Amino acid sequence: MSGRNNSIWQALVSPVGRKVLTGLTGLGLVLFVIVHMLGNLTYLQGGDAYNLYAHKLASYGVLLYMLEIGLAAFFAVHAYIGINIYLRKRRARGGRYNTYKTAGKPSRQSWASRTMILSGVVLLVFLVLHLMHFKFGPGVAEGYVVAVDGAEIRDLRRLMTEKFQSPLYAFGYPAVIVLLGFHLRHGFWSALQSLSFTSPRWNAVLYALGAAIGLIVGTGFIIVPLWIYFSQFN
Amino acid sequence: MPRATQPVLNAKVPAGRLQDKWDAYKDVVGLVSPANKRKHTILVVGTGLAGGSAAATLGGLGYKVKSFCIQDSARRAHSIAAQGGINAAKNYPNDGDTIWRLFYDTIKGGDYRAREANVYRLAQVSGNIIDQAVAQGVPFAREYGGLLANRSFGGAQVARTFYARGQTGQQLLLGTYQALSHQIATGNVTMLPRREMLDLVVADGHARGIITRDLVTGQLERHVGDAVLLCTGGYGNAYYLSTNAKNSNVTAAWRCYKRGAYFANPCFTQIHPTCIPVSGSYQSKLTLMSESLRNDGRVWVPKDTGDPRPPSQIPEADRDYYLERRYPAFGNLVPRDVASRAAKKECDAGRGVGTTRLAVYLDFAQAIRRLGEQAIRERYGNLFEMYARITGENPYAVPMRIYPAVHYTMGGLWVDYELQTTVPGLFVLGEANFSDHGANRLGASALMQGLADGYFVIPYTLGAYLSGTALNGRLTTSHDAFAQAEHASNKRLRTLLSTQGDKTATEFHRELGQLLWNHVGMARTREGLESAAKAIAALRHQFWERIRVPGENGTYNKYLEFAGRIADFMELGELMARDALAREESCGGHFREEHQTADGEALRNDEDFAHASAWAYTGNDQAPVEHREPLTFENVQLSSRSYK
Amino acid sequence: MAKSMTIYLRVWRQAGPEAPGRLVDYTVADANEHMSFLELLDVLNEQLIHRGEDPVEFDNDCREGICGSCGVMVGGIAHGPQQRTAVCQLHMRAFKDGDRIVVEPFRAKAFPIVKDLVVDRSAFDRIIAAGGYVSTTTGGAPDANALPVSKEAADEAMDYAACIGCGACVAACPNASASLFTAAKIAHLALLPQGSIEAPQRAVAMVDQMTAEGFGDCSNHAECEAVCPKGISVHGITRMRREYIKAVLR
Repeated sequence: MSGRNNSIWQALVSPVGRKVLTGLTGLGLVLFVIVHMLGNLTYLQGGDAYNLYAHKLASYGVLLYMLEIGLAAFFAVHAYIGINIYLRKRRARGGRYNTYKTAGKPSRQSWASRTMILSGVVLLVFLVLHLMHFKFGPGVAEGYVVAVDGAEIRDLRRLMTEKFQSPLYAFGYPAVIVLLGFHLRHGFWSALQSLSFTSPRWNAVLYALGAAIGLIVGTGFIIVPLWIYFSQFN
Repeated sequence: MPRATQPVLNAKVPAGRLQDKWDAYKDVVGLVSPANKRKHTILVVGTGLAGGSAAATLGGLGYKVKSFCIQDSARRAHSIAAQGGINAAKNYPNDGDTIWRLFYDTIKGGDYRAREANVYRLAQVSGNIIDQAVAQGVPFAREYGGLLANRSFGGAQVARTFYARGQTGQQLLLGTYQALSHQIATGNVTMLPRREMLDLVVADGHARGIITRDLVTGQLERHVGDAVLLCTGGYGNAYYLSTNAKNSNVTAAWRCYKRGAYFANPCFTQIHPTCIPVSGSYQSKLTLMSESLRNDGRVWVPKDTGDPRPPSQIPEADRDYYLERRYPAFGNLVPRDVASRAAKKECDAGRGVGTTRLAVYLDFAQAIRRLGEQAIRERYGNLFEMYARITGENPYAVPMRIYPAVHYTMGGLWVDYELQTTVPGLFVLGEANFSDHGANRLGASALMQGLADGYFVIPYTLGAYLSGTALNGRLTTSHDAFAQAEHASNKRLRTLLSTQGDKTATEFHRELGQLLWNHVGMARTREGLESAAKAIAALRHQFWERIRVPGENGTYNKYLEFAGRIADFMELGELMARDALAREESCGGHFREEHQTADGEALRNDEDFAHASAWAYTGNDQAPVEHREPLTFENVQLSSRSYK
Repeated sequence: MAKSMTIYLRVWRQAGPEAPGRLVDYTVADANEHMSFLELLDVLNEQLIHRGEDPVEFDNDCREGICGSCGVMVGGIAHGPQQRTAVCQLHMRAFKDGDRIVVEPFRAKAFPIVKDLVVDRSAFDRIIAAGGYVSTTTGGAPDANALPVSKEAADEAMDYAACIGCGACVAACPNASASLFTAAKIAHLALLPQGSIEAPQRAVAMVDQMTAEGFGDCSNHAECEAVCPKGISVHGITRMRREYIKAVLR
């Protein structure tokens, strides 16, 4: 057999390598959204908690830049391969089925698994907007400033409150987050499977864990905007 | 009936003690040097256990091999459907098995109608087959200690059967297919799938090529080689309903017969007792249920003819456990031929069950009571599932209905000790030849024979032929013999397509099958055979006037393939009836009602019929000539089989 | 007595690889519950031949679920609605009188249509030829019991070796991936000591060939396992990835 020892690059662009990269970056991004979600929840503590959390992050300086660059790379690789897999799939099918159904369990095909590309692309577009609105949105220079313990820091809480008082943000954001939940619902399980971390004994548990993560992360992100939106009418 | 007077059949059995013949043969056999092997092209037709193993082995030796199969892949040949297992005289369980015992069981099981030397060689190489398969990664069943597991099978008192769940044939075939794929990758074997061999090309007295039809494009192709290996399986599909695959056919073998190879013992067919019965006229094939079911199931019919009650309401007193009654020593475990005939007898007497009345019960109620449903599920779960899937009935609750079905054909092209036919350069391996199973094949020995022929016999005997024969090295496909054979095939295809009559190939096939089943089936009579021969001849003539084949030649056209095969089955059917008529005795699967004991058992006639009948083709509508190869038994005592 | 059923079929008809195809309606009025699905097509074909129309071509051979020749999409599911059943063993009792059933070929770019429901699956043969074997030649094999194999390993190897190569996994996969087929062979051989020697080269060679044939990627939908007539587990794909990763890290 001709199976030579592939170079690392060849291995990474192989179907196995692509999925390993997707899984690895995916799990990294899962970690990121969980941390992000927990950070968001500090808003509910009220007072300066949220702004302090954001300031603390910003104070990491170079370290934060490096993390951010890493994160950006993860996003880029994850999205690039995901889109690539979608395009390959379209080529690989050939003709279209007139009728197509899932055969049911043990299939894990679901609305979530079939719409990874849709939820993924929406999340990508959302990510750009989200960064524009918040990360690169108005800061100290534009007057979003608050004094905490004598230091003047960016008043991100105010920015957030303003944004989510608008129904467009308050409901558009959760809609995207629902898609994120579905993306994680299949993505978490799929990443473990791609990285070969699964075994028949644990599969049911791991698959359920994926659903739990999707639900928890989704809920965690949605609470804050809805709380802000409905609080304004009190 | 014309019969050749002088003996023309030389079996070429080496001299010496039975135990030494094969080794002695190998010691002096001619060899082909490695440099010369690659100059020889070998055409191997069929990719079952015999063809696949032969092509892989010859490719490994360095020959240029062209391998052909009618399926879309070499992995689909019907060897794949064998369930039970493969015998080998390994004696791993230390229960007293030896090569001699495997030889003896096989020759006795065949009712003393096989050639001693071939059968002994088969037993000798049986162990190598298991070694080879394990080396290929065939996942045989294992004991907890990691060693190979064995089970017992019909007709033997030792446990010598190796198995891979109920899919032994599949696993062995995938082993050969993978070995073949390896050789395809090395470039020694060229694989040509979806090709049907339509004729044998004999040039200057030697088999030098074949004509094939590309089943996708309809294109006829010429292939030239230095030898042709025919590994195309049996002809059980002549009966229309059988356990064979839908595409299994006799065409390639029949073309060889018409080109001068003799056809031996065509009437020796095996009818397997435990199959799922026919449910209606649309039925396309029959499904076998492993023989092992008879270990725990009890066979019975109601005592009264036409008893309308469902089985659960028939009390013990009104049931006839006829196998246990007639054969108290073996009971439900009598050999296949005996069990099949007994079922037919009950149904003929009107005691059959089910809507068609052509079935008997195989009842597990007592075994379930004794061992519990769980134990039965563990032993036969997959078979019970298959039964439920096909019949829609739950065999844990109601008895299975079973009936015999055509399963295997012991007859086939006549070959000598070297597996060579009466046409030099044409070799026949596996079920397609007649050599090893006599008048009845024992369970788990078909796989053994196919692989023995392909892995361990043909590499030597082919070398002997090639090294000892001066072939015209410049012969090409432009030789006249190719043109003539291709023209004949073409003409036949055109006739099939242009007749445009009113009966389909399937309709003809069903009629032929009915004739063979009724008269050349489990019980045969002179009158029946004579009437069948006439009826088949009439059907054959009708075929060429009324056949309706759809479509055209230039595309994939399954019904054109079928039509050609059925035309050959009809000619073969006549020969089967003729052979059964000539054999005035009962032996193995061949039961002539005129020749039975007072209590209805088979009565062999060793005085006059200890021979193989090899039929020579003499022309269309002309009676074939029977040649006889006397079978001499120097090592075993001929005795009558009794299971009482 | 068998119930008589009327079945309305919509069957994909395509004269050849390049010809345009379309769904054509047929009615089989005399079906019954004991027929297999392929026997239903037989009955339809006999009617078509008598009417002077071209019969529907479909691959089939053993009709007992082991050769892997047959395989069509029945009502949108590879091999039809009954799990662990090849379409040759699917019986009409799985349907109701009056049912409408769409019948289409297995679709994948790597499985070009030959005619009607017949597709070319030779890509599978090329994947096996790339490395789906143990490199032995005949003879010289050690005694079969020379190398013990644990029962667990042998049993699991058999689970994967049971693959019949029908292509349902590809047909049902939303991505038209051949991962289950390829993985089944890699896993079968890697689990046995005889096959483990070449396991790394095999994994790389077979995955490379699978890619070259134009199959899609595995996105872990596990639809393949659900339609597999032998119920082969997607854990095989995990094993394939492990072998591949091991080969690269070696």
